[in-house]
Amino acid sequence: MAKAGGITNAVNVGIAVQADWENREFISHISLNVRRLFEFLVQFESTTKSKLASLNEKLDLLERRLEMLEVQVSTATANPSLFAT
Amino acid sequence: MSAAATMHMPREGSNYDEISMQQSLLFSDCLKDLKNLRTQLYSAAEYFELSYTNDGDTQSVVETLKDYAIKALVNTVDHLGSVTYKVNDFVDEKVDQVAGTELRVACIEQRLRMCQEFMDHEGRSQQSLVINTPKFHKRYILPSAGEIKKGGNLAKLKSVESSFGDEADWNQFRNTVRTTIRETPPPPLRRPVLPSPPPQRKTQRSATFSFSSISNTAPKKEQDKRAVSPHRFPLLRSGSVAIRPTSVSRPTTPSKSRTITPKRYPSEPRRSASVRVAFEKEAQKEPEQQQQHQQPSKSRRLLKALLSRRKTKKDDTLYTYLDEY
Repeated sequence: MAKAGGITNAVNVGIAVQADWENREFISHISLNVRRLFEFLVQFESTTKSKLASLNEKLDLLERRLEMLEVQVSTATANPSLFAT
Repeated sequence: MSAAATMHMPREGSNYDEISMQQSLLFSDCLKDLKNLRTQLYSAAEYFELSYTNDGDTQSVVETLKDYAIKALVNTVDHLGSVTYKVNDFVDEKVDQVAGTELRVACIEQRLRMCQEFMDHEGRSQQSLVINTPKFHKRYILPSAGEIKKGGNLAKLKSVESSFGDEADWNQFRNTVRTTIRETPPPPLRRPVLPSPPPQRKTQRSATFSFSSISNTAPKKEQDKRAVSPHRFPLLRSGSVAIRPTSVSRPTTPSKSRTITPKRYPSEPRRSASVRVAFEKEAQKEPEQQQQHQQPSKSRRLLKALLSRRKTKKDDTLYTYLDEY
């Protein structure tokens, strides 16, 4: 009886250990995927930031050029004698 | 066809607006789900913790937790993927729009630059048309340096002038030539063909004779032609009006007398005309015999002057110069 009880305990311990290892494996998988997700988010943030920065620079340049064009057009329209032939 | 096209355009436009509105709504829903996912995960973690501690069946709780974690992770990845894709698409679309706007601005700038260049060109052309260039008569225009170099008589005259190295020789020669010209009766009026060629022919003959005696380099055919052709006088005389060096304000070197201003030319014919009138009167007073008597002595002086000349190379040019005088 004692032997049978010891065997069952050992089997239970073994099952528990296996379950524990399975849980650990699952957690490691989940954590790995979460890290990958985190890395992807970090990369996405950097790329999006760079894209937005370049877009902002282009928009600033466009704004300045448009302002210069507006000034030129306003000066040209303010002096209609320049267009008189 | 045009009606159909006009009907298609608003539909396409409305479809495009609807699609963009749907996409924007989906994007906002995705963002809201991502925001709520955090709170859901926190609430699910609390629930599973309580159930694990309170319930006796821990195995089922753990299995449910695993399934929920997997689903939550997949759902998060799905949400993040869609959101990032939409964000990327949105940013790329804006970059394309900015590139198109840059192209438009560059086109506008180029057109503006072209307009400005055209205006500048037109202004320059108008200003150039406004400026009145002074127009002189042909006889008041001095020949350029290249023409002088290329021209026959002028170049020859220049070479003859340069051949007179010494100023004393030059003055002597000039005075002698002028005295010979004064003795010959000039025509009463400025006419191209001289009415009384015999006296001038005499002088020319004497000049040609004296010069041929000095140097035999000139060909005889040319001398005969020059002696026979009296029609060369008006042309050479009209040319000499423009190039005759002034005796009053002559520079030290004869070659520098080339810098005659056009303002001096109108006064030159007047002076020569008055001189001619005076000579005409003198010629009327003096008898012809006295002229004929004095001519040999003057021609002798001319001969002496020519003999005293240093360089006797360019005979042809000297002939031309004598013809002009």
